[in-house]
Amino acid sequence: MQDSLNELVEEAKGAIDAVDDLAELDQIRVRFLGKKGALTAMMKTLGQLPPEAKPKAGQKINEAKQSVQALLSERKQRLQDQKLAQQLASESLDVTLPGRGADLGHVHPVTQTLQRIEAIFAKAGFDIETGPEVEDDWHNFEALNIPETHPARAMHDTFYFDAQTLLRTHTSGVQIRTMENRQPPMRVIAPGRVYRCDSDQTHTPMFHQVEGLIIESEATFAQLRTLIIEFLRQFFEDDALKVRFRPSYFPFTEPSAEVDISTRLFGDGRWIEVLGCGMVHPNVLKNVDIDSNDYTGLAFGLGVERLAMLRYGVRDLRQFFENDLRFLKQF
Amino acid sequence: MKVSERWLREWTNPDLTTDALAELLSLAGLEVDAVDPVAPDFEQVVVGEVVSVAKHPDADKLNVTQVEVGQGEPLQIVCGAPNVTQGMKACCAQVGAVLPGDFKIKKAKLRGVPSHGMLCGATELGLPDDGSGGLMVLPPDAPVGENVRDYLALNDHVIDIDLTPNRADCLSVSGLSRDLAAMANTAWQRPFELAEQPGQGLCEQAVTVSHSEACPKYLGCMYEGFDPTADTPLWMRQRLQRSGVTPKALMVDVTNYVMLELGQPLHAFDADALQGTVTVRWAQSGEKMVTLEDKTVTLDANTLVIADSQGPVALAGIMGGRDSAVTEGTQRVFFESAHFAPSAIIGKARAYGLHTDASHRFERGVDPALPEEALDRVQQLLLSIAGGRFSERVACVNAEHLPKATTIEMRPSAINQRLGTQISPVDMQAILARLAFSVQGDAQTETWTVTCPTWRFDMTIEADLMEEIGRIHGYNHLPETPVTAPMRLPHVPETEQEVNLLRRALVQRGYYEVMTYSFISEARHRQLTPEIEPLVLQNPISDDMKVMRASLLPGLLATVAYNQARQQGRVRLFESGRVFLPETDRLQQVERLGGVVTGLAHPRGWEGQDRPVDFYDLKGDVEALLNMNGLLEQIRFVASELKSLHPGQSADIVRGDSRIGYLGQLHPKLSRDMDLQWRVFVFELELDALREKPLPQAETISRFPAVQRDLAFVMPQAQPVQALKDAIALVPSDWLRAVDIFDVYQGEGLADDEKSVALSLHMQRTDRTLEDAEVEALISAVIEKVGETTGARLRDDAH
Repeated sequence: MQDSLNELVEEAKGAIDAVDDLAELDQIRVRFLGKKGALTAMMKTLGQLPPEAKPKAGQKINEAKQSVQALLSERKQRLQDQKLAQQLASESLDVTLPGRGADLGHVHPVTQTLQRIEAIFAKAGFDIETGPEVEDDWHNFEALNIPETHPARAMHDTFYFDAQTLLRTHTSGVQIRTMENRQPPMRVIAPGRVYRCDSDQTHTPMFHQVEGLIIESEATFAQLRTLIIEFLRQFFEDDALKVRFRPSYFPFTEPSAEVDISTRLFGDGRWIEVLGCGMVHPNVLKNVDIDSNDYTGLAFGLGVERLAMLRYGVRDLRQFFENDLRFLKQF
Repeated sequence: MKVSERWLREWTNPDLTTDALAELLSLAGLEVDAVDPVAPDFEQVVVGEVVSVAKHPDADKLNVTQVEVGQGEPLQIVCGAPNVTQGMKACCAQVGAVLPGDFKIKKAKLRGVPSHGMLCGATELGLPDDGSGGLMVLPPDAPVGENVRDYLALNDHVIDIDLTPNRADCLSVSGLSRDLAAMANTAWQRPFELAEQPGQGLCEQAVTVSHSEACPKYLGCMYEGFDPTADTPLWMRQRLQRSGVTPKALMVDVTNYVMLELGQPLHAFDADALQGTVTVRWAQSGEKMVTLEDKTVTLDANTLVIADSQGPVALAGIMGGRDSAVTEGTQRVFFESAHFAPSAIIGKARAYGLHTDASHRFERGVDPALPEEALDRVQQLLLSIAGGRFSERVACVNAEHLPKATTIEMRPSAINQRLGTQISPVDMQAILARLAFSVQGDAQTETWTVTCPTWRFDMTIEADLMEEIGRIHGYNHLPETPVTAPMRLPHVPETEQEVNLLRRALVQRGYYEVMTYSFISEARHRQLTPEIEPLVLQNPISDDMKVMRASLLPGLLATVAYNQARQQGRVRLFESGRVFLPETDRLQQVERLGGVVTGLAHPRGWEGQDRPVDFYDLKGDVEALLNMNGLLEQIRFVASELKSLHPGQSADIVRGDSRIGYLGQLHPKLSRDMDLQWRVFVFELELDALREKPLPQAETISRFPAVQRDLAFVMPQAQPVQALKDAIALVPSDWLRAVDIFDVYQGEGLADDEKSVALSLHMQRTDRTLEDAEVEALISAVIEKVGETTGARLRDDAH
């Protein structure tokens, strides 16, 4: 029996070594270890042996079965590994080809600038207010201490619909609306589109402003200056940014200032005007029933496109409204 | 306002470079726009006298000249200028000179004749063309040999100052220098003696002022017996030019010069052209006058005029009339030096389209003390230039209506409190004194009474003085002080969706944000939004920007065209902004979000063919937006009747009873009219509808198994699938969770005008497992309701 067992094991080993396919390997398993397999059949012959010989013979058969099983397992593992390796090889991709659906659009640079300005002020507790673009004479001029015949009206090239209705020339009108509708103290900014009847290389008939307004019981001009300097340094992320305040004139603020900035980026010694600001004129406060003995107002208005141009190195203002995709893609 | 630096420095001369001086002016609130040298750099150009001119032996167009430059021997210079004449004075560049453009003057031979220098034209020296057509002609009295830079005062700059409307007091060299002196803390003084000029004999021109509130001071005097050939001196012409005023003739030049110098506008009449008494009065409505510029204006009754017995001879404070203007033949001049109230002048120049240097000043306010001084100065200048004699002055002065010096109550403590400074009362007084304000009060007084100088029309309240003290103290010396205010936490509404989130969603879907003008052409408006009456600008920049947009489409589509013309095939754009909808009672200015897509559905890849974008691509984008606030389920898409859209590929987006937007293919006809390529798909949504966001309320998640049943219905092709969903919604059930469409089929097995729509019904109870019987009952009820309300039948081979 030992010989035939050895023979069977040898035969199995030969067959297993020769096989290259998992299905064929399974057939070999069936041939030797299946219900009707050769080694299984050997087991069945045990019954014909004398009782004292059975255990030993049984053990021998089991050993033979185990060795065949081990050969099968080992071969199976190898074949599986080979198969996986082939699969992997066949599935290999050019990982340098671009993926699908990665294209994103872009947010307009003026919006990005607005978002940045809003974020800086919102974190300091400013609320965001908006107002209408088609505005009445009261909110755009009268209430802001700019009566009909005021020479300052000539500074605003105004688009009119009729004598009383116009396109707002600044966001300052939102100051009035806000003060009409809310009780002081308040801290707000008002971003939006404004319009001037002016068009050349450095002027577009539409642009964006952000108006800022603080009404507190004890606000000072020095605080306004500090706030503006801090804002500009945060906006440009430049602690060395030079900021210059120049006395100026707006009918709705007194004192008033225009603010210039200068950095090496713009060329040495070159000042660039970025915003106007001042303390809210007592007449304006009176127009909205705020007692200027109880409250002081600080206000500023900045040009968004100007800041965006400086920040992103845009040379031609008009590009913002041409919307060339090759331009928009850069932001 | 333009001013010569040298002229300014004659009045006050701070020890500052040109740049530093300009900076200081800016910091005084007198913003310097530009500083330009009067002439570019050049040296060794002197005044030469052409002592002889001879034809060049070998060149028709050249002359050989001998030029005296004060060095003993005259220089031989070959000259090609046509206007060279013997005895003339001209600019002579000597050998060694370097002219603008790095042009070096060397000894040379021109066609064989040696030449030792060059006679120059104005442009060769970088000066404005003097119109001589050749050499710049110098006056006969120009001193031979003097450096031209000195003689023509070329070492000078023109400072261009952008004055704000409140600073009319600085519309003169005198006023500007006065403010500069206060800022620089330097001495200020008139560079000439000005004494009251006595007149000879009575003024023969009678004057009356009928409205002294409009003209509280009117001075006049007669000038005659002067040398009619006298010319405006070179130095005066230069100063006028550097101030941006073109020299004309002596009388006009002198009035302009004195206006630039002192700030008082003046007018010179030809006295012989005036008939009878000169009256300052309001115009009669309909009266006409021909201006100096030959323009006929028809006057209204609110216009102040200077009139003689025949009618208006000048628009007071704005412009004189043609018929009384001084001309070459004028023998007697009547000078007017008056104070007109700003309220009488304001707005008038603009109304007549006649903005002048005079109106600019009178509108803003001219120092009422100036008319006398200005006449004194005119007399002084003219007597020295042209001789002759001035009459005594005729004067109509109403002191009651002359502007009074303003007095303001000022609290030094309040100034410091508002500025955020600690300027001592003594320093404040010093600042005010520098500005010629007089103060009643001292360091111990709580409230001062400050009297403002007569030239400061911009001073009315304490805050005005605060600005004066602040600006002279220096805005840039204010202390750094952060805003101190109580901390208040912000209101953060969770039921409001930020527009920025919608922007980001579109960007992630490949859309570019654009910003287009809010005004468009009327034609485009009528084309795209014919159902809306346009809101039209009175004064548009151009016809292309004439009406306010009533939709975001015009701008978006124009941007598509712009980019398609630049080889951009796949274009996906969006814009958010206001549109303007005039309604009967009021104008609606509503915010919208609009988009446009065209070209390939996907960016060009490496896998080969793609397809053009279609309606459902766009609808998916729109649904994604509508889904962001969880309200998509409440939205219905209803076939749209908008004329701008493809009738078979467009839908109104409806929530409840209101349309909150639309989407669809742009009508191919419009697409063709606008030169758009590809098919173009557009959408527009009301931002308010997208902003609204319900606060989520959590529901229990069922732990019982869900059941799904699929049904296929056959219905006419033209019938919208929405009809099926609406029918199913009519079947009452708490546990029919969702109905999905998973297949729409047309073709074999169906009639040509039929389609089969396959639906999945998802059912699940939260309280127990569903029983077969109730599921079957619901399915039967659905089939029945669908059949009953839509006519659709169950497809035989499905289920």
